Amino acid sequence: MINSKIPRRYARALMSLGQEEGQYIEYGQNLQEFTDFCSANDEFFRVVSNQVFAIDDRKEIIERILEKSSFSDMVKNFLRLLLDKKRIGAIKEITDHYSKLTDEISNITRAQVITAQPLKGDAVDRLVLALKALTSKEVEIEVSEDASIMGGLIVKAGDLVLDGSVKTQIEGLRESLKRGEYN
Amino acid sequence: MFFNGKNRSRALVVVGALMVILFVCGVSYASSGGEEAGHDSTVVSGHDSAAHDSMAHDSAAVSGSEAQGEHGGGHGAHDSGKKMEDLIYRAVNFSLLVIILFVVVKKTPIKDFFANRIEEIKANFEDLNKEKKLAEKRYQELEQKLKDFEASRQEIIDQYKAEGETEKDKIIAEAEQRATQILAQAELTIQREIQAAGDMLKQEVLDNAAMKAQEILTKEMKESDQDHLVDEFIKSVEKLH
Repeated sequence: MINSKIPRRYARALMSLGQEEGQYIEYGQNLQEFTDFCSANDEFFRVVSNQVFAIDDRKEIIERILEKSSFSDMVKNFLRLLLDKKRIGAIKEITDHYSKLTDEISNITRAQVITAQPLKGDAVDRLVLALKALTSKEVEIEVSEDASIMGGLIVKAGDLVLDGSVKTQIEGLRESLKRGEYN
Repeated sequence: MFFNGKNRSRALVVVGALMVILFVCGVSYASSGGEEAGHDSTVVSGHDSAAHDSMAHDSAAVSGSEAQGEHGGGHGAHDSGKKMEDLIYRAVNFSLLVIILFVVVKKTPIKDFFANRIEEIKANFEDLNKEKKLAEKRYQELEQKLKDFEASRQEIIDQYKAEGETEKDKIIAEAEQRATQILAQAELTIQREIQAAGDMLKQEVLDNAAMKAQEILTKEMKESDQDHLVDEFIKSVEKLH
């Protein structure tokens, strides 16, 4: 288990360099691509992050990948540094934190919307506008369906959670009855 | 029991002397009586073998006197001489007895024996008196001790009774207090159990109601309801701004 401070420190360092060069968004995209590649190629990720294998062998593998990639030199060097410092296994956490830093700098908040049934009509646009007005940030939403909430929807935007599901309302009603609020 | 070692030997000497005296007396008496009896038997056998007592002797003597004449007068002188001899013999015998008794009494310390015995009895009597006094004194002491002990016993009994009463009251008070606590605890436990049972029942009812509500809502929920809920949610978010 890698301490969360370490990915945050590496992410901030790269973000600092990206901001200096004005390419932090591109760096973020490169990191996300590499992370997606690692997720898609689990065997590759296990080899490069496993210190049982020789560092030279792992470097050679990474170099082969980086040669074929269109990543910026800064990101390539960053990945090499992670390999040398034995932190390549934390690439996912670093990427997530970098993405949060990017959103903060770009004044963007990402909202996860859970709905019992697909949203119809202009519901998504209205929801985005409402959240934008609420957070005073640009909002990018990711909608997912979960029938267990029975009805309504749940929005999670950073630390903000708005729960309008029927399941939660029934739970609230039950707790209220349990506390005797309706006696 | 009544003679100690010295007195016992003296008593034995006295008894021995008495036995000697009695023996001598018996011998002298036997010798005198034997001679007389032998004389009588001779006379009887000489005159009439069929007679064998004095009466017979007398009748024989009478018949003899008739038969023999002068021979009867000589026989009477012979008897008086024998009697005299017997008297002398008895006197000598008595004198010997007196002498022996005197010698025995003189030689043996029988007087001292009785005197010592008296002194001894007196001393014993005095000792016994002393012992009696001591015993009485001891008896009085013991009696006093018994009285003291009785008083002490009563005092101890009273003290223990008082302590027992105190302890009894204390135990009763503690028991009552404990009983009160147990009752209060039991009451509290009952109330808690009732409360817990009520809560459990309420929880069960609520769980069942919630489950039933979920089942009904799952069955009855329509697209329009979902749209309505989404619309309400968006409006509520807009109101938050």
